[in-house]
Amino acid sequence: MNEHGLNGVDLGRGLILPNAVGLASGTAGYGFELQQLMDINRLGALYTKGTTVHARAGNPPPRVAETGGGMLNSIGLQNPGVEVVATAYAPRWRGWAIPVIVNVAGGSVDDYVQCVRILDPIAEVAGVELNISCPNIAQGLDFGRDPGAAARLMAAVRAVTERCVIVKLSPNVSDIAAVARAVEDAGADAVSAVNTYIGRKIHRATGRSVLPLGTGGLSGPAIQPLALAAVAAVCDAVHIPVIGVGGIVDAGSARDFLIVGACAVQVGTATFVNPETALQVLDGLRD
Amino acid sequence: MTADLSRAALETGEVLVVERLGGGLLELVARLPHLAATAMPGTFAQLRCGQSTTPLLRRPFSVAWTQDDTCGFVFEAVGAGTRLLSELQPGDPLDSLGPLGHGFSVVDGGSVVCVSGGLGCAPFPLLINELRRRGVEDILVLNGARTATRLYPAERFARPAVPVVAEATDDGTRGHHGPVTDLLDQALSAHPSALYACGPNAMLGAVMRTLLESGAGLPPTLEASLEAPMGCGFGTCLGCALPVLGEDGASVWKLCCTDGPVMPMREVDWDGLRALPGADVA
Repeated sequence: MNEHGLNGVDLGRGLILPNAVGLASGTAGYGFELQQLMDINRLGALYTKGTTVHARAGNPPPRVAETGGGMLNSIGLQNPGVEVVATAYAPRWRGWAIPVIVNVAGGSVDDYVQCVRILDPIAEVAGVELNISCPNIAQGLDFGRDPGAAARLMAAVRAVTERCVIVKLSPNVSDIAAVARAVEDAGADAVSAVNTYIGRKIHRATGRSVLPLGTGGLSGPAIQPLALAAVAAVCDAVHIPVIGVGGIVDAGSARDFLIVGACAVQVGTATFVNPETALQVLDGLRD
Repeated sequence: MTADLSRAALETGEVLVVERLGGGLLELVARLPHLAATAMPGTFAQLRCGQSTTPLLRRPFSVAWTQDDTCGFVFEAVGAGTRLLSELQPGDPLDSLGPLGHGFSVVDGGSVVCVSGGLGCAPFPLLINELRRRGVEDILVLNGARTATRLYPAERFARPAVPVVAEATDDGTRGHHGPVTDLLDQALSAHPSALYACGPNAMLGAVMRTLLESGAGLPPTLEASLEAPMGCGFGTCLGCALPVLGEDGASVWKLCCTDGPVMPMREVDWDGLRALPGADVA
């Protein structure tokens, strides 16, 4: 167990997760709902909903569509903006045992830097996860697809914070290892992989795409083997900690990521089906 | 604002019966003690359909009624999830997460009109039971469906005393020949203190239009139970957005699962709702 960090995962710069099982960004909000449905404080980390400089209303519905063993989403980073997170949400995390890592998204380097600057002095924020991989907003993938752009973004963020910075990688690239190496070289403390896969569903009755923007992000158990291959490639490419995410539904599917070299995992869509999934994964890994 | 989920709980209950009501309507009765003890009118449960990862997501169902430690749900087998539910046998386990959502504001007096379209009957037995518990006896149900066999049976809207149920069918096979909204004018002439509606979003929009055009004035309490494709049901996936008019009159997204499913009809952006594409039933 200890070899997989189940009793503490050191992500660097003083951020030590109490255990290896976290809640993935976009599937746990800011923790306030799940806190009411399960013992969130037993988990290793909460990665918040993607947070931007300004509030975002999100995409028009329908925003979700079920697929075989998975779901497509096109939420469009609906969030209240970083100021609200910093001033209204963070105080509510005070006293939580679970480290809260704020997922930050943006359309420009300045957007990310501004968010990180605002979050940097807040004690309740354990670290940041840079979302360079959202498939559902314009420019959401600009940084995730280009190793040079990803490195420039990481370097700019590194210049404004001494906190632990995790970069969440997109699988919608030809060479995920190249992006991982680029952000490692630019100062990332850890990487998480993967965000959702771009997918599309056709409404059989109308012949049109179900999601209004055409495509969305595919998550759920259907992507676990794909995510596992991507994470294995990333683990081979970098020396910093790798957090595995994608299609975990139980301890077995989580352990797969640890076996290929991840030091921690995030449970995502399975939480929608059963809010206690992450706890079950943690207990299962410890058995 | 964070939704109050303090009543919601995971629970594995037991199927007692899946009854075929005719016309494709099904009533699932299950022993779910926590849900039965805590469900309020208009709230819903997220039911797991099978144990596999396909279909992956739970399906939301209004709690139709409760009795002792059992709950009833009304549905139709239209997709993979509801087909699995329709095949459940007595004794099978049923995995529920609930109660969830914001239910009806139940009035304490006056007269009440309930407008149901098709499967929109689902939340009304529990609502009517609560209205009666609060002393409201003047309850009129307007029940519409495509055809007679798809009308939820009048005697099931409340037990043992059946409320007044006026029926309408699109094909004229029972009751009024035409949409259920045709029955609204007469119902409004009694100036009800509350009108509750549930049905397809398009039908709810037609109810609102009819109310506004009737000239009778809107009932003080005017609420509808809406629907949207849902991911989690408890406010974290943000998937079930519906257009609602904000304080400045501009349309904003609210969540069907935690801001609704019951919303004040005055606040819904009906034009925005009508413009949305139809649901994809999986």
